[in-house]
Amino acid sequence: MTRRFAILLCAMAAPALAHVTPPVVLLSDREAVSTLLGGSKRYFVREVRLTPAERQSIEKETGWAPDEDFHRFYLGRDEQQHEVGAVTFLTDYTIHGPVRVAVALSPDGKVKGAAVIEASEETYPWVKKLIDQGFLSRFAGLDAHAPMPPRAGSGTSMPAFYGDVISGLVRRAALLYETAVLKRAHS
Amino acid sequence: MNGIHLSRLPLSAKVFCTLFLLGIGCGTLAAFVQASTAVGVSPSAVRASLAPDLPMAGMRHGETSAEREMDLGELSNAAKVWMRTPLLIQTSHTHLFGQTLIAGLLGLIFLFVPLREAPKAAIVALPFVGTLVDIGGMWATRFVSPSLSVLVIAGGTLFALGYVLIAAFSMHDLWLRKETA
Repeated sequence: MTRRFAILLCAMAAPALAHVTPPVVLLSDREAVSTLLGGSKRYFVREVRLTPAERQSIEKETGWAPDEDFHRFYLGRDEQQHEVGAVTFLTDYTIHGPVRVAVALSPDGKVKGAAVIEASEETYPWVKKLIDQGFLSRFAGLDAHAPMPPRAGSGTSMPAFYGDVISGLVRRAALLYETAVLKRAHS
Repeated sequence: MNGIHLSRLPLSAKVFCTLFLLGIGCGTLAAFVQASTAVGVSPSAVRASLAPDLPMAGMRHGETSAEREMDLGELSNAAKVWMRTPLLIQTSHTHLFGQTLIAGLLGLIFLFVPLREAPKAAIVALPFVGTLVDIGGMWATRFVSPSLSVLVIAGGTLFALGYVLIAAFSMHDLWLRKETA
């Protein structure tokens, strides 16, 4: 009897320890940077803090209030130190869970590529549909002010909603790069 | 409690309590696997996921940009969850409601186990305290000190320990206790 009770206790002791949210992580940060900055030989990290005026101008254009702290770009350069591109990570916390994307920008500020890094169990089927349709490749060549690609799926569908979320993140990334890197380089 | 013991429940109530306890056990096990794959169940893994993002380029106060060469190896190669404040808010509200409801239903079954009041009160409190320490630990790791990530592990462990004790005592009372007249 005591033995049976001990076995029961041990069997039930297995589910110990912590408990966090159910996300779906599709790529590691390293994979995203190395894939989106293909051809780079050297990598650099640049962190930028936006001035109040820069934050205001981004908010005016997108409705998004950028972080007051800092924003990070990973830069790739070739052997001759020519810029290959920059990658930044942005997240939107939707009611169904976060969507985190990596956006690669070429030195002229145009989108080189984008990848979804993280979704949630709930959003993953909708986001996967977009990935399978090649929605993320439609951003290539667009700049911060170009019209975003046509909506994915029918007007009120969840993939269409998440397509808009991803489009918004890509636009923010392009605008962030334009404001904090390109415009500063020319001023 | 009030003369009602689990061992005296009718078969249908015993089956209900047993399946509920088993279901919550399976759920807790699945949550543990989920936590260990998405974040990790060590204080350092929790710290990496929750602690504030520190500058990498050495930007000083008042500077608007900084740059340095890096090795790709500095970036995480693990597909791990990175919890920022908005996600912490989402996680807190769902988990505080969910885990407190689970703790409440577990406690409700456990109240009918014949046990001395002091240990009974301590055991019934464990899942509630564990939930508060777990979620509170996440906030403390993010906003007070990364070293407090140990609270998240401690909280999860308390919750699981509470479940194990409640389930063990309840199952024993439901199916193994011999009724004495």
